Amino acid sequence: MNRTILLIEDKPALTDTLKCLLELHEFNVLTASNGEEGVANARRHHPHLVISDIFMPVINGYELLEIFKTDNELRNIPVLMLTAKTGIEEINLAMKKGAAGYVTKPFLFRNLHATILKLIL
Amino acid sequence: MKPQHYIKVTHLLNGIKDPVLIIEPTEGIVEKANKAAIDKLGLSVTGKTLDVPFREEFMLPTNNGAEETCIDFIPSSISIAQKEYVLAIGKTTASEQHLRMQLRNLEQERALQEMKTSFISMTSHEFRTPLTAIAAAVDLLETRIRMDRMMNPFYKQNIAKISDEIFNLNTMLDEILTLSKIVSNNYEVKKTPVNVSQVVDYLKFQYFSERKDERKLEVKVVGEPRKISVDKDQLSKILTNLISNAFKYSTHENPQLKLHYHARKLVIAVVDHGIGIPEKDIPHLFNSFYRGSNVDGIDGTGLGLAIVKTFTEMNGGEIKVTSEKGKGTKFSLTFRYA
Repeated sequence: MNRTILLIEDKPALTDTLKCLLELHEFNVLTASNGEEGVANARRHHPHLVISDIFMPVINGYELLEIFKTDNELRNIPVLMLTAKTGIEEINLAMKKGAAGYVTKPFLFRNLHATILKLIL
Repeated sequence: MKPQHYIKVTHLLNGIKDPVLIIEPTEGIVEKANKAAIDKLGLSVTGKTLDVPFREEFMLPTNNGAEETCIDFIPSSISIAQKEYVLAIGKTTASEQHLRMQLRNLEQERALQEMKTSFISMTSHEFRTPLTAIAAAVDLLETRIRMDRMMNPFYKQNIAKISDEIFNLNTMLDEILTLSKIVSNNYEVKKTPVNVSQVVDYLKFQYFSERKDERKLEVKVVGEPRKISVDKDQLSKILTNLISNAFKYSTHENPQLKLHYHARKLVIAVVDHGIGIPEKDIPHLFNSFYRGSNVDGIDGTGLGLAIVKTFTEMNGGEIKVTSEKGKGTKFSLTFRYA
């Protein structure tokens, strides 16, 4: 059975490409362009994994993690952060708030893929 | 003062551009003022009894025009015709208005500097968005070509080139951002007790785990591990830089990182068996934009080691380099325990 990934990212240029890449690697992909939409989609579809940006409108990545961790339905879905910030502080904060992992932007898809496989296989 | 002395002193004093007063010390009367002093303080200054303690540095207000200014006088003893006088040489202090203007200029300059830093910070952050999209698109192309069984050495080589250059550009952005923060003094050193082995493990996983050439960073620990007091973020930038260099300037053997915990200090050594650094380049190695004379064709900005040295010193550490051309290079960082 193909695994479902919810991709939450506000830059369409990246969303489209990443969706294609994930689909070529046999994942089902749902998308959302901000945190609020992301939470709603997660509640509706229960994906196996969420990949989320940190800096995005409405609900940012940190707030998204807080919502996931306090929601019984969502707390067991691993959330992988994609972040342009490379500072240890930002990454630590995301991990402290319950992120399952992170990949810094720009990334090589094979690194992202390896991280995804670690989390959902 | 006798007339001949008076004239002689007058000539002498008028040759001085700064305001000068000759004060009779027992009564505190101004015996003589030079032209500059009269211009500033008015004619009435001569013969005036000073109501300020004139043995030490004192100030007199000027009375020319609306602008409130003071003159700072520095007194010293002088003997004229065997009689002691006080010679006070003045220096105009800037008016409040003038000071305020200077302050405003300084504030403007600082605001400009901050704007520059935040501009660089913002652009380098914004540049990452398209870079990420380009990197992903290149990955997608490569995947697709591979799946369609159309990959050939020509495609492979050029796709790899695009991908490499994207990451070079990204590194450059990081370095420019870091350097601009250093230049504008925007770096605080937030020292906390840091477990260096843990930082190394993190970096190994984060940056050096998925290499194309299957090489690995070899880590060796000697002695009883102890924490050192440094800024964790800055330490990881230092190490990332040195480790990346060790990979970049060597080709076959694994680079090594040694943590040697001595009784009073930790020595971190990053060792490679690469191209080495020619002796003549070593004195300039830590200057911004300086690159070794034997780096032909190896990408780099020449900023990395300048950043490494600055951060090391900001955190109370020392950096040393030993190198032999064609044999390899060793960078040693020394941090004393707090």
